[in-house]
Amino acid sequence: MKDFFETWKFRILIAVAVFLAGLMAYAAANGRLTAAPQELLSVAVAPFQKVASLVGGGVSSVWEKYTSIDETMEENEALRAENAELRRQLVDYDQLKAENEAFKNLAGIQEDNPEMSFVSAFVIGRDALDAFGGFTLDKGTAHGVERGDTVIDDEGQLLGTVIEADLTSCRVLTILHPSFNAAGVVSRTRDNGILTGDAAYAAKGQCVFTDLSRESMASVGDEIITTGLGGVYPPDILVGRIVSIEPEASGTSVIAVIQPDADVLGVKQAFIITDY
Amino acid sequence: MESRRKRRRSQFYKWGLYVLLLLACTVLQTVPGFLQFGQAKPVFLLPLALAVAVWEDEFSGALFGAVCGLMWDYTAGRTVGLLALALMMLSFGVSVASQLYLKLTQTNFALVTAGALALVLCSDFLFYYAMPGYSNMLERFVGYVPLTVLMSAVLSVPLYRAVRWTSETFKIDNGVI
Repeated sequence: MKDFFETWKFRILIAVAVFLAGLMAYAAANGRLTAAPQELLSVAVAPFQKVASLVGGGVSSVWEKYTSIDETMEENEALRAENAELRRQLVDYDQLKAENEAFKNLAGIQEDNPEMSFVSAFVIGRDALDAFGGFTLDKGTAHGVERGDTVIDDEGQLLGTVIEADLTSCRVLTILHPSFNAAGVVSRTRDNGILTGDAAYAAKGQCVFTDLSRESMASVGDEIITTGLGGVYPPDILVGRIVSIEPEASGTSVIAVIQPDADVLGVKQAFIITDY
Repeated sequence: MESRRKRRRSQFYKWGLYVLLLLACTVLQTVPGFLQFGQAKPVFLLPLALAVAVWEDEFSGALFGAVCGLMWDYTAGRTVGLLALALMMLSFGVSVASQLYLKLTQTNFALVTAGALALVLCSDFLFYYAMPGYSNMLERFVGYVPLTVLMSAVLSVPLYRAVRWTSETFKIDNGVI
């Protein structure tokens, strides 16, 4: 073992470690999460993730059908081929059905917001290491997606923002993340505040609306929407409803706990606003 | 003693299978809702990196660990290189330990995986949750780390067996008895 530390292999490992540390420093200095090697890996893995999420999520009934077909396959070889073909068609059908429904919803959103451009995307990955529900979508820079684009669900409700866009996939920072910040307003009272995430509420799928004036007349059940201030998020995007109002630690303002209208932790399909 | 061509082909198949396992593990680890219990969900990439490290040498194991780590960095939205460095060092350490001290059994491997994963998850929790000062730290830790470690350790056994099978099937016969 002692000899190993004097070999060229050990020097290569040290060089790789230095390279990785350099990548990390470069990425951190430029506010990025990925670098060229990972982008290559992401391009390779995205199609597999797409198929797996489709099979695992939208067409879970296929497995049951598959096992029952297995028994039939043993009895009749001819039916086996036919059934396999039917299963493949069923997967295609489910995918088309899901896309069709998504586009119907998109048509509705587009009607309400004719100035916006959307890209439809499926959630292909969620890693449990992210405590705030961050996920990966199957659309990337090749589809016109850029960092900072707003992500909404199929009913036009805010999910988050793109924090990293690779060639064929992108990573979304959800509204549950404490790093997420968007200007919002209480729809009924027009009180302004900052929409952000809070670790105390993220596990329940809730976020918070901070800097709300103590004199605000906002109450439980009021809807929060984006203001569009700052130009990062489009205006009038639905966020969620107030479920409770709590005093802020300093006492100068209050915090409203928001139950997002979108299912941030379980969403399977999303739209990325690429232009507005 | 095998010919050089045969050995090269054998190596190609072996590493091809490892790469396929890497893709499969990435997909399984990130499929939304797959084997998810509350906040916990098993990790597949770290056990795979360690399994390859114990069945190959420390050099190949460390490099494969770095690739697994890069993939995990990407899927988890972590800064590139962070988990890659961690997995590279862990793979190197576990490979050396398995050659010098550890008896290679499935139970030992599951325990080593649990220890390594606990280390990685605790450090990730420290850097990405405790240090930013987020609230509800204890709830997140208790709900996520122990169950994730347990599930991953259990599921590391089939991965270990798959890697062992691959390594033994495509082992190079260099004529040394």
